[in-house]
Amino acid sequence: MRVTNTGARRPRGVARGVVGGLAALSLMTACAGGTGGDAEISTADGEVDGSGETLTVWIMEGTNPDAEPYFEEVSQAFEEETGAELDVQFVPWAEAHDKFVKSIAGGTTPDVAEVGTTWTPEFADADALVDLTGAVEDAGLDDGLVPGLVEAGTVEGELYGMPWYSGVRSIIYRTDVFEQAGIEPPTTWDELVEAGEAIEAQDPEMLAFPVAGDSEFGVAPFIWGNGGELAVEEDGTWTSAIDSPEAVEGIEFYTGLATEHGFSSPAATTWDEADLSDAFARGDVGMMVAGSWTPAALLEANPDLEGKIGAFPIPGPDGGLSPSFLGGSHLSIFNTTEDPDLAFALVRLMSTGELAEKWGDQSGYFPGTTALLEEIEAEGDPLVAPFAQQEREAGKSVPVTPLYGQVQGKKTVSAMLQKILSDKADVATAAQEAAAEMDEIFQRG
Amino acid sequence: MTTTQAAPPPGPTQERSPSPARGSGGGRLTPGWLPWLLQAPALLVLGGLLVYPLLWVVTLAFQDFNLRELRTGGFHWSGLENFREILGDPTLWKVALPNTVVFAAVNVALTVVLGTLVAMLLLRLGPWLRGALTGAIMVAWAMPAVTGTYVWVYIFDTSDGMVMRLLSSVGLADPDTTNWFTDRGAFFAIATLNVVHHGFPFVAITVLAGLLTVPKEVLESAEMDGAGAWRRFWHITFPLMKPVFAVVVVLSTIWDFKVFTQIYLMPGGSGTNREVLNLGTWSYVTALSQNRYGSGAAIAVVLTLLLLGITLVYLRTLFKQEEL
Repeated sequence: MRVTNTGARRPRGVARGVVGGLAALSLMTACAGGTGGDAEISTADGEVDGSGETLTVWIMEGTNPDAEPYFEEVSQAFEEETGAELDVQFVPWAEAHDKFVKSIAGGTTPDVAEVGTTWTPEFADADALVDLTGAVEDAGLDDGLVPGLVEAGTVEGELYGMPWYSGVRSIIYRTDVFEQAGIEPPTTWDELVEAGEAIEAQDPEMLAFPVAGDSEFGVAPFIWGNGGELAVEEDGTWTSAIDSPEAVEGIEFYTGLATEHGFSSPAATTWDEADLSDAFARGDVGMMVAGSWTPAALLEANPDLEGKIGAFPIPGPDGGLSPSFLGGSHLSIFNTTEDPDLAFALVRLMSTGELAEKWGDQSGYFPGTTALLEEIEAEGDPLVAPFAQQEREAGKSVPVTPLYGQVQGKKTVSAMLQKILSDKADVATAAQEAAAEMDEIFQRG
Repeated sequence: MTTTQAAPPPGPTQERSPSPARGSGGGRLTPGWLPWLLQAPALLVLGGLLVYPLLWVVTLAFQDFNLRELRTGGFHWSGLENFREILGDPTLWKVALPNTVVFAAVNVALTVVLGTLVAMLLLRLGPWLRGALTGAIMVAWAMPAVTGTYVWVYIFDTSDGMVMRLLSSVGLADPDTTNWFTDRGAFFAIATLNVVHHGFPFVAITVLAGLLTVPKEVLESAEMDGAGAWRRFWHITFPLMKPVFAVVVVLSTIWDFKVFTQIYLMPGGSGTNREVLNLGTWSYVTALSQNRYGSGAAIAVVLTLLLLGITLVYLRTLFKQEEL
């Protein structure tokens, strides 16, 4: 068992006092197999001495193709700063949610972890995360955080996830195909259809715009772009809005790219985003909704695509931009940590300055602070700037409530898309069914 | 789900003769507690790994149990609410139950028939060929369900899988209009291939072991009396092998009822295609993807009860006949 060093801490503010009991508490929780304590951060910006201690850190695998050297660097910097060591474990995205849930149940959560933005409210609601509001303020980090990420990490006014990096989906296209067909990146929905038709006319074998059935974030921009919502909150109660006329029209346009215009294929009905990227890497696809982190993976899968990939923000129906889901990750501290101050020192180290910037560069994601984001946009890389523009001008969050996590778990939106794409229901009916399913979840509370 | 990993019913193969240890009166060398002591390690392991999770799932099924309760350990008894919700959900009656029952029935039948046929083939082969063939089918058995499922999905990939290429080259299917995985029948046909392919080796090996014990003389004398292969099978081999068939059918029924991996990993199987949910995947999606552990547990309990019921009825009919 580790000895918690309270010597370097000083109590800050009455609300976050309780420091005296903290050492005892952390001992207690350690003895009880870590069933979770009420860990609080007392030192947010001071020096933290963590010599002899080890922090367990979970990082999602695959975000940064070259994560290990990066974390060696982080470990070194952290040891220099605090004297503590890091035990970094990489968890694949696909099994991360289950793993978090199981570790929450068993009291074996890590000290610090990368948490997907849509999971943060869920885990916070389960009382598994440490409230970071005061610490972020005290450390002076609350200015210039990307608003969408703050929104996604805030539950009942308290921040449970420090914005680490963000990503947004726009449209990735084949510049060589566009050039041959003599078309420019579309700026309205009509132009999007025209571009698709031009691609199909030039090469009927090509999928001009595959509509992946198992991708809720592919359809969202078209619902939002048309003025619709997935769900709306009123007086703390959520109600579905996916069957509103605006939303239905947006879904009609998006699925119509497949069912009406034939830009997609029946196989795409069961594709998820990974399948979509695979098809693009094979050279079968003209345009697709994809994230800023995708181009690097595409080039790795098929180096022949070098110089043939471009990106543009998702156009609005009559110009402007359609909002796209702003996702990403928070750094959160779990309640089971024995030394919340040390854990926060790591969060601070990773989410600011040089190390944060480097992570963005390597992973193709954007940093969690607007200052760094503006720097990137100014560099004007044609594969990065459109995404940065999308994120800054038209990034949007899915409904921030743990209940929406259930909607996502039930795959309500994907199920709706598949019904429409496989011709089992018309758009209005499928949207109504999805709305009913959402409302059932919202009402159950 | 853990609940469905019920232990196979104990030894239907056992002879129904009175045990010699019992009733022998005085002069017993073993004290009464000794057998229990000797069994204790096994009972403890079974209790810890089977009975405890089973009881836990049953108690979960009567609670409103979500992620918060999972962390804090609180109890929110909700009586029969979860069961009321499950039994009132059309998903159960129109989708999950038919998918589970019909799929299991078809797969058990196909697995047992194919396994028996392969066993009879193996019986006729020489030792070398039998060894080679047994080795080959064992590979199918040894393959993990996850790997097997990905291979079948890959073979049936709707844009450029092997089967699609073959069928489209002879004009029987068109990748521009077909996606097998969105069609309930085709989806389960592919799953059936996967499950039968994975399950028949066990049946073949077990039935082969049984076939080797059928006395040759009986079969030969029947042949001399003019009985054809069909009659010999149904009148001699099958009755003698009834306990063996009971085991393979009951085990296959249990496996095919609680099939999960093979469905969940297919495109659309994890919840996006609502038409292909079965009790196992429905329970998982409810409990773990939505963190509604109570409802998910209730589905698992329904599945377990169904399975126990079917197994009981099956064993009763089988052994009642035998006793007559």
